[in-house]
Amino acid sequence: MINRRHFLTTVAVGTASAGVLAACGNGASSSGETGSAENPVTINYTWWGNDDRAERTRKAIALFESKNPDIKVNGNFTDFAGYWQKRATEAAGGGLPDVMQWDLSYLRDYGQRNQLLDLSTVNINTDAFEKSLLPSGQIRGKTYGIPTSTNAFAVYYDPAKLASLGIAEPTGKWTYKEYNDFLTEVGTKSNGALFGGTDYTGVWWMFNIWLRQNNIEAFTEDGKLGFSKDDLKKWWNFTAELRGTPAIASEERVTQLAPKSAFGSNVTATEVTWDNFMAGYLADSGAKELKLVPVPSDDPDNLGLFLKPSMLMVASAKTKYKDAAARFIDFMVNDPEVGQIFKTSRGVPASKTQRDGTTFEGTDKLVVDYEKSIEQYLKDAPEPPIVGFGTLEASFKRISSDLNYGKLDINAATDAWFKEAEDLIKQNA
Amino acid sequence: MTQSPTLSRRSTTSAPSQLRKSKRRGADARAGYTFLLPWLLGFIALTVGPMISSLYLSFTNYNLFEAPKWIGLDNYTTLFQDERFLQSVGVTVNYVVFGTPLKLAAALAVAMLLNSKRRGQGFYRSAFYAPSLIGASVSIAIVWKAMFGDNGPVDQGLSIFGINLGGWVGNPAMTMPMFILLTVWQFGAPMVIFLAGLKQIPNELYEAASMDGAGPVRKFFNITWPMLSPVIFFNLLMETIHAFQIFASAYIISNGEGGPAGSTLFYTLYLYLRGFSDFRMGYASAMAWLLVIVVGIITLIFFRTSKSWVHYSGDSR
Repeated sequence: MINRRHFLTTVAVGTASAGVLAACGNGASSSGETGSAENPVTINYTWWGNDDRAERTRKAIALFESKNPDIKVNGNFTDFAGYWQKRATEAAGGGLPDVMQWDLSYLRDYGQRNQLLDLSTVNINTDAFEKSLLPSGQIRGKTYGIPTSTNAFAVYYDPAKLASLGIAEPTGKWTYKEYNDFLTEVGTKSNGALFGGTDYTGVWWMFNIWLRQNNIEAFTEDGKLGFSKDDLKKWWNFTAELRGTPAIASEERVTQLAPKSAFGSNVTATEVTWDNFMAGYLADSGAKELKLVPVPSDDPDNLGLFLKPSMLMVASAKTKYKDAAARFIDFMVNDPEVGQIFKTSRGVPASKTQRDGTTFEGTDKLVVDYEKSIEQYLKDAPEPPIVGFGTLEASFKRISSDLNYGKLDINAATDAWFKEAEDLIKQNA
Repeated sequence: MTQSPTLSRRSTTSAPSQLRKSKRRGADARAGYTFLLPWLLGFIALTVGPMISSLYLSFTNYNLFEAPKWIGLDNYTTLFQDERFLQSVGVTVNYVVFGTPLKLAAALAVAMLLNSKRRGQGFYRSAFYAPSLIGASVSIAIVWKAMFGDNGPVDQGLSIFGINLGGWVGNPAMTMPMFILLTVWQFGAPMVIFLAGLKQIPNELYEAASMDGAGPVRKFFNITWPMLSPVIFFNLLMETIHAFQIFASAYIISNGEGGPAGSTLFYTLYLYLRGFSDFRMGYASAMAWLLVIVVGIITLIFFRTSKSWVHYSGDSR
């Protein structure tokens, strides 16, 4: 039977398992700085996205390789959440890929910590870019990212769903109260079968836009919070009377649908988010048509809107092939044929050369037209947010969800978020 | 145990043969260590090394990019002011305290059913064991999430009986029962061990008890339980340690966020989020070490208390 000694050894094995994970970076290939057609250099490129984007990217890479026989591009992709965990471990091991698709939220985390190449030191043509857009890729006078494309905030709605409820389509000239009334009307008229929308106060960027509408900066120059607890309380109070009513989707439903969105699952009639989600929403919901209008504002002359780089192209500070990396980035952001391949699936092309070389039809045209229609309201894009912004954005969403579950009241939620934010800013100072 | 034979041998053998023997023993040891070497190297490089460096990191502020900054015990002291940390402890303890005993009870009950001689027993054993082979996998977590969602099979099944709970996945009060069900369902591994233990209990004991007029309940508490106690102890220990480490299913079912409302924020999930989403590796390392220490203490308590209820056959008591 079982004796005691036998046993201790078995048990000892079971307890050891809390080590630190370490990942290996990908090694770069052998030859020197530049290659030739007979002996090309290989650069690694990585991006996040779905199969659709992977297919388009493969086409773009093939085109690049046929035009640049001295460079081979080795592509690799994951989903958004896993993407940042992978980059973190690669950066720790000193093995970031040569060229990467990047998000504004993480630009400071890596740029300020010397992980990214200053792209002003290499040859990339930015003549065809709006001058107001480029600073969003710059930190302390260094250019770490080149925007591929832009996106803007918008309210999506499904005209067919509104028609079936006998509700007039919104014009996009509305105050927060009018938007709230609209959400309530959808919920009431559908008898709860369709929610008006999701709780828009849980979306960081919508909060940021509201701050801009009130001429408040989200972050100060020196990386502190630019708004007060009262501002946040006021914001979370906007939907205080809608929570738990058919106007906004219950958190139970939203949580269960994740990672799919409530709007894409036909649970809500509207959604407030970035305009380049159009293609994804159409595919998810199967709706015939979706439309875009501007976000609400209590000041009709200041919508607080801006064009944000929907994604950026960056290079690793440690790349051995600066020249090849620069040529690939230049190609991806400027080449008109690349615009034809991606259309608006990355957002509206940022470079005029690329934009003019692309024909937009159907839903792609809707997105382009929307960005044109709000041109007069656009203000400068925000600077890259503070270090650790990705974490703050996530905790904003999480705490607002606790608010919807009734786990926290608005005061407690505000205190909780400020505590996390201040802790994070102190940590990264 | 091996002492008395060695002593007696020593006293009878002459000096030269003793020398030869110890030489051979040395060669044996060398051969042994040579065979052990691949594992030993891996163990040192991949387990001991990282553990030591994580111990060091737990006293630092380390964000993966810059050199770690020594901050002493700060990580450990801030842990106890971190509400999310305390929440993750609560969630995990809840899971361990309710999930483990239920799982073991299910395992023991099924093992006893499968211990009798019936036709097709081999098939049943495999069938009951199967869930634990696939249970820890990502696909089962996804299936589980779909089953317990709005209008999923569980929701629909319960509504036949007039119970309308809605989806469990989005309801903070129902996520813990869902995770406990998931772990109970994976009782296969402890069940097999129980089954092996049950087979070792001599049948004469039961026969003798029957002769004395003992019923099934008395037989269970007076024969099965004490005879099986080392196996029960082993399973309890392993399953408790195992339960503290729940990660994959929680990560999948909550989309890596620990929601809804923090109800699935298990300790290891929070550790992971701190390390790989917030880049606070020092903090995450401190959490890892605290877990090792706590699990170590619990193990120690188990061993101490085991003396009073675990009976080893070798013990003369």
